Amino acid sequence: MSSDAQAITSPVAEVPLSRRFGAIWWAALLASGALVLLLGYTLVSVSLLGVGVWGVNIPFVWGFDLINYAWWIGIANGASLFAAILVLRRHDLRTAVNRFSEGVAFFAVICAGIFPIFHLGRPWLFYWTFPYPATFQVWPQFRSTLTWDFWAISTHVIVTSLLWYVGLIPDLATLRDRARRRTTQTVYGVLALGWRGSVRHWAYHQRAYRLVAILVLPLILIMQSTVAFEFAVTLVPDWHETRQPLHFVATGLAQGLSIVLLVAVLLRWGLRIGRYIDEGDIDLLGKLVLASSLVSGYLYIDEFVFALLADRMAQEATLNRMTGDYAGLYWAAIVYSIVIPQLFWFRAARQSTVAGVFVGLSIGVGIWFDRFSIVVGGLQMDYLPSIWRNYSPTLVETGLFLGTIGLFAVLLLLFVRFLPVVSMFETRHDEHQEKSS
Amino acid sequence: MAQLFTPAATTLFRVVIVLMGLGVISAGVTAYVWARSDSTWNVGKPAPQPVPFRHDLHSGALRIDCRYCHSTVERAADAGMPSAQTCMTCHSQVWVGASVLDPVRTSFTLGQPIQWTSVHRLPDYTYFHHAAHVTKGVACETCHGRIDQMPKTVQTQTLSMGWCLDCHRDPVPNLRPREAVFAMGYEAHGKDLPDDVRAFYREASRRLTSCNTCHR
Repeated sequence: MSSDAQAITSPVAEVPLSRRFGAIWWAALLASGALVLLLGYTLVSVSLLGVGVWGVNIPFVWGFDLINYAWWIGIANGASLFAAILVLRRHDLRTAVNRFSEGVAFFAVICAGIFPIFHLGRPWLFYWTFPYPATFQVWPQFRSTLTWDFWAISTHVIVTSLLWYVGLIPDLATLRDRARRRTTQTVYGVLALGWRGSVRHWAYHQRAYRLVAILVLPLILIMQSTVAFEFAVTLVPDWHETRQPLHFVATGLAQGLSIVLLVAVLLRWGLRIGRYIDEGDIDLLGKLVLASSLVSGYLYIDEFVFALLADRMAQEATLNRMTGDYAGLYWAAIVYSIVIPQLFWFRAARQSTVAGVFVGLSIGVGIWFDRFSIVVGGLQMDYLPSIWRNYSPTLVETGLFLGTIGLFAVLLLLFVRFLPVVSMFETRHDEHQEKSS
Repeated sequence: MAQLFTPAATTLFRVVIVLMGLGVISAGVTAYVWARSDSTWNVGKPAPQPVPFRHDLHSGALRIDCRYCHSTVERAADAGMPSAQTCMTCHSQVWVGASVLDPVRTSFTLGQPIQWTSVHRLPDYTYFHHAAHVTKGVACETCHGRIDQMPKTVQTQTLSMGWCLDCHRDPVPNLRPREAVFAMGYEAHGKDLPDDVRAFYREASRRLTSCNTCHR
């Protein structure tokens, strides 16, 4: 490795290899670890006592579980779609944000996967949704959304973890070479799968990385549509619409981008790696967030127009969502995910850390309100007036949601601690190219 | 600095990958075989009973009709277990002083049922109706085996859902004429049935395999 490459790699590689990591990291880990304990408690209680500890009941068979599942899946989809496009386009931005947007996607899938498994009521029998030669000689019902969930989640976990891991291999080798302690060397060495950096390795690696990235594109569209179809295939007036997949894909992308922006801004501030995620990168990310929230805005208009054109039942159901008991959620979604991101028309806002955190969180919250509004508000006026009632989550459900946020934070913190958050080999590649040109 | 890994590490790594693959496959095969083995389903395993009742004596040697003790088998979901009064119709005369029959006499005196251990137990989410089967030509022997030869009562079939479905998908080979339903060692399953009955059950298999036929 030339001294030049050393200089590039050093600050990024030093982070995972350093012995001490500061009190803030420990405090954050403890706080999110406590939330993970809460997650464990809520999962044990729902396993032992059943889904009765949740606030769900007819007609709201899907409450917080599906709201948060759809929300996390949205983050996963948005983040991995973004990462895959950057890899395929060989865009400069990839050096800065790829690694952790892949990580964000992977961790979000893990959080998302918890909900469908536990909302089965008997989570230990989740494998019944998998077509295996069972002694009861019945295949899973392929028209059931539970089966779709199984395929969506497992495919998601495999593809996003592959994208993340394949991208990590050369950097794991760098860490192996730079590690000082024997055990650290061995751990990174095994994870690097014998990477020696030969030309053949690089050729295979590029092919594998791009191949997985190409796989992500159709998969993300299919998987996000699968989540949307789970609503669209029902006969609930507000859900039974062909526009659902488009709505979920577009708002999911906005949400994924906003979380990537949030993490990027926090990393830049926390790890002081402004050179790797520079102002241009953050500016570009801000523009993408703004553009995607405008697309979401277009889809809200589309939803309204669709409702006006729809039959009376669907029209009433959708308008009820905008004006009824849960109207607050609908309008909050618009304010948080569309109005507030308009701040990003201003260059100063795009480059400010505070505004980045603010807008990133705001879109995340806004889309969560949107999912809440669809799952709960959409069901409020079903065909049978006798079952019109309201839904509110119980403490156990809220704890479960907070717990997954804690799990996400723990995974992110461990990732920041033990792995390079910026792709070192891509950065080296780009800086070399700049020099030679 | 010494090399971190020797060339043998690559070989070891490949061996581990292959072994892990083989491990997954063999775990699958083991699970497949285990799920179908008789011991998993308690086939052939007698349960501890308060009285050493012998079907081979009562049903086999003495040729007492099944319905003498399991009296509701033609009318109800449950085949019915005999009360101590039923036992005492004979045992007030034979084996009067036998100590093994103490629980029966106690039950008779106190009017409390004998605590038999169930050998054929279906899960509570399955709805099984004895009369529906017996009156349609499904014999005792078809599910319970050669009860008349059992010193200790055991399962001879797995009672798995797949086993139920084997018959529900195509009942005709397992049906008998009504007079042969309580017979033991009857051979000609399905052959003696009239053609219209066969045609009916070929049609009925769709209804018989509907979820809510057994899960209500």
